[in-house]
Amino acid sequence: MSSENPENRNMAKKSGQTIDFSMVLASAVHDMKNSLGMLLNSLDDLRREQSDTISESTKFNTLQYEAERMHNDLVQLLGIYRLGENNLSAHIEEHFVPDFLSEHMARHTPLLEGLGINFELEAEDINGFFDADLLTGVLNNTLNNALRYTRTKIQLTANERDGYLVITVEDDGDGYPENMQHTGTPDFKALDFKSGSTSLGLFFASSVASLHAEGEKTGSIRLHNGGSLGGGIFEIWLP
Amino acid sequence: MNKHSTTTNGADFAKLSYLIIDDFESFRLSMREMLRSFGAEKIEASAKASPAIQFCAYSHVDVVLCDFNLGEGKNGQHILEELRHKKLLKRSSIFLMITAETSKEMVMGAREYQPDAYLTKPINRAMLIKRLDSLVSQRSALLPITREIDHENYPEAISLCLKFLPAQPRYKTWLMKTLADLYYRVGDFSHALKIYQDVLNQRDLSWACLGKGRILIATGNYEEAATTLNSLVEKHPDYMEAYDLLAEALEKLGKPLQAQKILETAAELSPYALLRQKHLASLAASNQDLFTASEAWRNTVSLGTHSIHDSSEHYLALGQSLADLSDGDNTSDGYARADEALTTLRRMERRFAEEDNIRVRSRIVQSRVHAGQGNQNEANKALESVADQLDDGEKIDPETGIDYAKTLFRLDRDQEAKDLLGTLARRCSDQPYLLQKIENLLDEPVGYQQKLKARSRNRDGIKAFEDNKLDDAIETFNEALSIVPDHAALNLNLCQVLMKKYKGTGDKDLIKQAQNHLQRLDNLPEQHRQYRRLASLRKKLQDMMS
Repeated sequence: MSSENPENRNMAKKSGQTIDFSMVLASAVHDMKNSLGMLLNSLDDLRREQSDTISESTKFNTLQYEAERMHNDLVQLLGIYRLGENNLSAHIEEHFVPDFLSEHMARHTPLLEGLGINFELEAEDINGFFDADLLTGVLNNTLNNALRYTRTKIQLTANERDGYLVITVEDDGDGYPENMQHTGTPDFKALDFKSGSTSLGLFFASSVASLHAEGEKTGSIRLHNGGSLGGGIFEIWLP
Repeated sequence: MNKHSTTTNGADFAKLSYLIIDDFESFRLSMREMLRSFGAEKIEASAKASPAIQFCAYSHVDVVLCDFNLGEGKNGQHILEELRHKKLLKRSSIFLMITAETSKEMVMGAREYQPDAYLTKPINRAMLIKRLDSLVSQRSALLPITREIDHENYPEAISLCLKFLPAQPRYKTWLMKTLADLYYRVGDFSHALKIYQDVLNQRDLSWACLGKGRILIATGNYEEAATTLNSLVEKHPDYMEAYDLLAEALEKLGKPLQAQKILETAAELSPYALLRQKHLASLAASNQDLFTASEAWRNTVSLGTHSIHDSSEHYLALGQSLADLSDGDNTSDGYARADEALTTLRRMERRFAEEDNIRVRSRIVQSRVHAGQGNQNEANKALESVADQLDDGEKIDPETGIDYAKTLFRLDRDQEAKDLLGTLARRCSDQPYLLQKIENLLDEPVGYQQKLKARSRNRDGIKAFEDNKLDDAIETFNEALSIVPDHAALNLNLCQVLMKKYKGTGDKDLIKQAQNHLQRLDNLPEQHRQYRRLASLRKKLQDMMS
């Protein structure tokens, strides 16, 4: 017997009329994020054009800092949305760590200089395996956070420990409160919206860390205080 | 600040020529400012794609800074594709795509052409310098290799990659990727595979996994390729190129339905890749899923508007699939499809007016659409308008001729259609692909719905035969044959059942019927796929009667 013809499948799709609210939110967030991007560009131009008058203005620095913060939050929201949709995965490639970090720091240079915060980068000449976009999101948020709590100094270091690439952000502020110093993944449901600190950034950071897995090893974040600067220490460990 | 000596070299930057493409004037100005501030002098800026591409055709550009979103018209990816495709931009030049997107994989989807780097907005001066610095250093370090690639001197590029690998650990990934790709291009699959395998032995990296899949397909290991790519897609549901390759592997494995499913998923996640839509459209069409096919052709046509991949074929295929779908359908859906088919074909005639065959190809399908809606006059008129190009079966382009025959069948001019197909079969006797098309049309010279009905009856008949319900099988095959009386495989199927029943009953009338069905295939040419089966059944029947 011969049936040469593959089966027909009538694939006419029914268009759903129900509103997917999280998708609506996600596209609104996307839009806001792009607007803020334009806003940040203009702030940067303004800082350059008017460097004599505004570069050390507290109001201007606050404006830029808060815009950066919102931008980061929105980037993270989108990331978390995609995590929930299950279409966020880490595209891990090999990168030369010093190059990656110094390119990354460049973004924060104008604001750091405006705020008069001292900044140090110490990276070993090593290659690391990570998704550059995701890690950029995490570091942006961490640095932004450090900017908020530090007094005079922020230090970014990268080295190899126990077969992991460890990137550390240290400041000389008061450090993390007791209840935030842990190493596990914060549970999203446990985020406390009342306290004002939603830990959204930490949730995102630890989600990104755990997307980085290699064999038995999985990435993680660690928060503690002290170090050479005596303030908060954020570490992301990547296998 | 940084214990690494920065390699920033003002002279390097200043010497290069830049092209900025962005639709916002303020952004162009601010980029120009930034570039000037570190000494660049040769800076051109453009708001639109066409003048930018034009500029690259006449002037050498080292660095293109291009925004992905340019408003109406071409986007950054279109520009990149056109520049690389027409070789207006050297491999050794740098193309930087500026996006507001963090999820670029999803937006861009499968790309034959990738930018050298992405820059995500907002961009400040310090960032731009850092990024350009490392890209320019990389460019100069790797220039000996990219230059050989530009000259298509791949063996030399390969030996340079091998030489650079131990010396340039900073560019290890680039070198490994390029090396494997070069081996693939020159057909040295075993060396390419070895590179991917070496990388994978150290670490599970998705690009190496994809590369391995590609090599496995190229070397005919489809099963292993499908397994490898399947797990890649599971781990990275946003890795679009993996879907495309997986579909290819599944097709090669003879699983076209699964392949279609994979492409549908990918097209849903990342809908803007023209070549993927096209792949999906052809695959769905060959799977007889005309709904999916016409939707994908529609997307292909619309994505073609600004793309170098645009082609009249896409318009024609959309017209053909809509013609099939609307055939004999007098509901408002059917009317709307017929109308869309005609509009699409008219647009094709205008857009590709300079192509030789374009009017003929268009009118042949238009005629079929009219006939399918019961407008015989319109149908005849459409053919008459190109009659002078249709009358000589010896000269007509074979693909056009086959499509013309399809229209002739639709207009109940069966004999003309058969004669034409006979002539074409003789002319194309050394082209199996065309011969098969001709056979298919001769087997099933009916509309899409009719064809599906006949096929479904055929399957029912086979099922009944397998369950040994011979009378049911005979009845169902007869029903199918009432739709497509000349279908070779169907006639043989029925013949086989009749002979089996005769063995059980000895009823001579059954033999006679079987003989009739074999006689219908007296003109079956030797190269037909069913010819050997026909010959063997003829012999069996002969033996039974003697």
